[in-house]
Amino acid sequence: MSEIVCTECGAELRLDDDVIQNEILPCPDCGVELEVMSLNPFQVALAPEVEEDWGE
Amino acid sequence: MQENSLTVVKVGGGAGIDPSGVCTDVAAWATRGRPVVLVHGASHRANILTKARGLEPRFLTSPSGHRSRYTDPQAREIFVQAAQEANEEIVALLRGLGAVAVGMTGDRVALRAVRKQALRAVVDGRTVVVRDDYSGRITGIDEGSLRSILAAGQVPVIPPLARSTSDGLLNVDGDRAAASVAAALGAESLLIFSNVPGLMRHYPHENSLVSMVDRDQMDQAMSWAQGRMKRKVLSVRQALDAGVRRVVLADARPSHPLVRAIEGEGTWFNA
Repeated sequence: MSEIVCTECGAELRLDDDVIQNEILPCPDCGVELEVMSLNPFQVALAPEVEEDWGE
Repeated sequence: MQENSLTVVKVGGGAGIDPSGVCTDVAAWATRGRPVVLVHGASHRANILTKARGLEPRFLTSPSGHRSRYTDPQAREIFVQAAQEANEEIVALLRGLGAVAVGMTGDRVALRAVRKQALRAVVDGRTVVVRDDYSGRITGIDEGSLRSILAAGQVPVIPPLARSTSDGLLNVDGDRAAASVAAALGAESLLIFSNVPGLMRHYPHENSLVSMVDRDQMDQAMSWAQGRMKRKVLSVRQALDAGVRRVVLADARPSHPLVRAIEGEGTWFNA
């Protein structure tokens, strides 16, 4: 279990050991969505807002 | 449907769809002077080419359940090849049937799109951001070239490819492409053919086929749609919103599918 700090509100998030690269995690305090940008060391950033309109 | 009004036809590229039935009717219409644009898919061919390279086709599922091909750089290269081969085959088929068909590949690619720089997908129950997908959202149509081809009595044949100024050729959804073309050219009708008879209330029970959907039933139609059909109903809505008077979802597999569709088979959506 690792801990990171929400980039928006500074709350501490506990990460499961099986978290994966680019996974989106909601901050339990402020609710923003964070993307796991790196596993070693753990780094998160605000997840991009994306609309749905995919290809074939 | 009036003989001189434009019809956009989409034939799917899924397994079990032989485009020759659709092409037979398209060629018959075109040689009688009835304007028609043909949009096609390439999914089954892309799967075959992928496996021929010893790879497995990969798909992404969006958080709301839409499933799409994962078009990373290698898959993009394969998809472009599949779309071009499918286009050449359909153009040759139409020419063999007496129509003058023009493949909209290479420099003629008529769709413009922007690549989604980031998608969300659900992988093993976890939502992740995908940044190397080369699928696109259609932003424009080369109306001028399509109108010139139609004015010459020829049939534009459009693959599910769009050009991005910054990212090259992109994989686009064929149904959305057909709806975009129908909207841009002011088509009266859009006919979408696949390997099912139309929209079913209780998929896969074909005896639950919905024959007619009114404009105020679109939300209900969306709730009936399963899997790929959801994207088709979204495309129907897009076309109707843009002024297309009639959209039909119908079966590509029987003989003379276009004739059957305009005589009332399949699911009709009226504006």
